[in-house]
Amino acid sequence: MSPCERIEELLASYADGELGPEEKALVEAHLAACPECAALAACLRSADAAFAAIPEIEPSPTLMDRLRAVAAPRRRFRFGFDVLLRPSLQPVFAVLTILAVGFSLYMASPDKKRIDQAVNRQIHLGYSAFEKLTARAGALTDSLGAAADNLFVSLERINPLGKTDASDR
Amino acid sequence: MLVDLYAKKIFNMAYQFAGNVPEAEDLSQDIFMKLHHALPKYDFAKNFTAWFLTLAKNALIDEYRRTKWEKRQRGEFDERVHAAADTDDPERGLAEEETRRILWAGLNALPPDMRLAVILKEIQGKKYEEVAEILGLPVGTVKSRINRGRLQLARILKDRKESADVAL
Repeated sequence: MSPCERIEELLASYADGELGPEEKALVEAHLAACPECAALAACLRSADAAFAAIPEIEPSPTLMDRLRAVAAPRRRFRFGFDVLLRPSLQPVFAVLTILAVGFSLYMASPDKKRIDQAVNRQIHLGYSAFEKLTARAGALTDSLGAAADNLFVSLERINPLGKTDASDR
Repeated sequence: MLVDLYAKKIFNMAYQFAGNVPEAEDLSQDIFMKLHHALPKYDFAKNFTAWFLTLAKNALIDEYRRTKWEKRQRGEFDERVHAAADTDDPERGLAEEETRRILWAGLNALPPDMRLAVILKEIQGKKYEEVAEILGLPVGTVKSRINRGRLQLARILKDRKESADVAL
């Protein structure tokens, strides 16, 4: 290792003032005699000063918006009890409350058996009424179909477009 | 909020490492996304700033290895750097500006680990111990790495100045 290489290794510590008296004297003696190493030492000090003078710059507002968007929590479905306080759900809760009260009264009623029978009867009546209705609808469909057939047959006989059969010629 | 506390620090670290603003902005966003994913794993016993800066360092070096920035040119200084570094003496100001430009470009000649160590110590003014904690290396290794980096940059500066003197 040449004397210059040995001094170069010590230059950064010398610039930081971290050398002991012996090494410091060695470096200073070499720098006084070697213009190359003295120029390098001067450049090292300039570099240190130039780096220290580089200021921090402010991130642009656009970047800040981008970074805040990264940090913003993604919207996920999370159940919270505040959902239950939404005004739009109040009619639903009112209906549910009425149903719950009615069901409680029904379960606690001494006439539960009679209520059941009455409900069953109503269901049967409703069901038979529905059956009658569907039967009538079926009959109506049939009669409409027959009327349509009759109409087509009549139209063919009248022959309003004056079509002639090829066999007539 | 973490963004308000750390955006400037991370952006400047990325800018000084990458050398141009658009790239630094993309890198900052990438680092905050990585932070967002890594936060649940943060150990509260650790120093948060050092932990986050280590995460940023890893992101910067990974990106460097992926894209090989050494093949790219560093951009010119952002005008905000010149505005903040203006001096009263115009001649001295020009010489300092030229020195800054040479060193700024010279940072790309350093390997990524060394470049980051020099940036943290020399530009951001951190202590050797802080740099060692961020880089996850012993203080002695960091010191030696930084000093070699400084010397390499001083040689670049000396060569450029000598070339300029010869040209004159």
